Amino acid sequence: MTAPGESTIIEIRNVTKRYKDTTALDDVSLNIYGGKIYGLLGRNGAGKTTLMSVLTAQGFQTSGEIRVFGEHPYENDRVLSRICFIRESQKYPDDFSAEQAFASAALFFSNWDKAFARRLADDFQLPLKRRIKKLSRGQLSAVGVIIGLASRAEVTFFDEPYLGLDAVARQIFYDRLVEDYSEHQRTIILSSHLIDEVANLLEHVIVIDKGKIMIDDDAEAIRGSAFTVVGTGTRVAAFTAGREILHRESLASLASVSVQGRLSEGERAEAAELGLEVAPVSLQQLIVRRTMDPGPELSMNGAATELEVSP
Amino acid sequence: MNRIVNVARMQLINKWTFLGIPAVILAGAFLVTYLIWVLIPDGGPTVYSGAAQAVMWYFLALGIQSLTLTFPFSQAMSVSRRTFYIGTVGLFAVVALAISVLYYILGLIEVATNGWGQNGQLYALGWVAGSHAVVQILFYFIAMLALFMVGFWFATIYKRWRATGMLIVWIAIALVLLGLVALTTWQGWWPAVGAWFVAQTPLSVSGWVALFCAVLAAGSYLTLRRAEP
Repeated sequence: MTAPGESTIIEIRNVTKRYKDTTALDDVSLNIYGGKIYGLLGRNGAGKTTLMSVLTAQGFQTSGEIRVFGEHPYENDRVLSRICFIRESQKYPDDFSAEQAFASAALFFSNWDKAFARRLADDFQLPLKRRIKKLSRGQLSAVGVIIGLASRAEVTFFDEPYLGLDAVARQIFYDRLVEDYSEHQRTIILSSHLIDEVANLLEHVIVIDKGKIMIDDDAEAIRGSAFTVVGTGTRVAAFTAGREILHRESLASLASVSVQGRLSEGERAEAAELGLEVAPVSLQQLIVRRTMDPGPELSMNGAATELEVSP
Repeated sequence: MNRIVNVARMQLINKWTFLGIPAVILAGAFLVTYLIWVLIPDGGPTVYSGAAQAVMWYFLALGIQSLTLTFPFSQAMSVSRRTFYIGTVGLFAVVALAISVLYYILGLIEVATNGWGQNGQLYALGWVAGSHAVVQILFYFIAMLALFMVGFWFATIYKRWRATGMLIVWIAIALVLLGLVALTTWQGWWPAVGAWFVAQTPLSVSGWVALFCAVLAAGSYLTLRRAEP
């Protein structure tokens, strides 16, 4: 958990959001502290967009309490003016060009940096004069990304900002985000299901699954929180006995088992003696494992499943 | 306050929506009407045209568009629903007032030039033109506002409750109207109703429509308060 003393900018207490037949948020309680890059990770439909909508008062919770900068965000221009949230499916006025959308953002975000927006538009090769409804999906995403970055709002939400962006454009986004963040400290909340791509940017990770918070921890702490052991089946089984198993796979006599927890130096040496390979579990693997069942005890379908041997 | 003004400025970033298209419709409607008058032979009675209404119907569409497209965008601009509502309706009120004054002035010119030299009647409509200047302007203003608010509210209802909401509203409206007709018939009130309509003046009509507008405005606001983009 985060060390005390940092200021809480968002408090979420027992927030539940129900749609007709689904529960999008299930009794979520969270604190979000200022001046960090947060990753809001989870599968599609896990509740990421719903959570961000509720925090920015664009949507409504069924029950529970939310405080942003110590106040209710709903109908509160004082709080809202310090937030920027562009939806993944953001709508723009029909006849607006990107340039006009930026002119509009300049009216409402007091830290708006026009020159930065222009530079980003160049980077993303975004046609400024073309009507937004005629842009490609990637260019549409770029409009949202640029508004989010150039607004320099104290809390900025990015909702799956990379949809339709190619690998180069995504890298530009990550680079600009980190550069600008280092010069203008603020709180960034980046929702994503491309976990490996964003893992290195994140300082704090929140994992949401089926409307519940699964993980809420420092990225560093999570990175070392699990490991994978690969080697002969029987030896792996013996070595991992009594530990919390996240995932298990086997191929012929080889087994690969992901385990929650840390190894001491002595245990590492023991593993090496047994001829077992030990590697950290990546954030993406960890989240996949934590949001899925570990798999049957004696899995013999190794050929069908991918054998995860960490480098 | 500043953010309310900024909502109005945002609506004006694209000059066409609130200013350009109404101006084109105004000019186009006049031009087409004038050409028709020139083409038909002179000497007949006063020729009436309803073309001046054209721009008013555009406001119905504008009310719908303001909500369906600009509201979700205003949410991304971190504008509260109340600020969006006041800024948008306020801007529209200013535009409607400007056009109402323009209609009044055009009506004066129409009378002075004997119906644009063609004995035509486009702006100075007989029933309204006899009234005081303020009543005339008020009459146009309220009519435009009512159309805008109808579009705005229906779009808000659609936004919140989709097709189901629309269906229920239309059925409810139909039932209420039907009920009123049935009640009037049953009680034998038709002569009284007829007399009441005949007795209306531009000012009293403005008053009734203003009341209607107030209901629409309150309804729109309350519906918008819980709308999601």
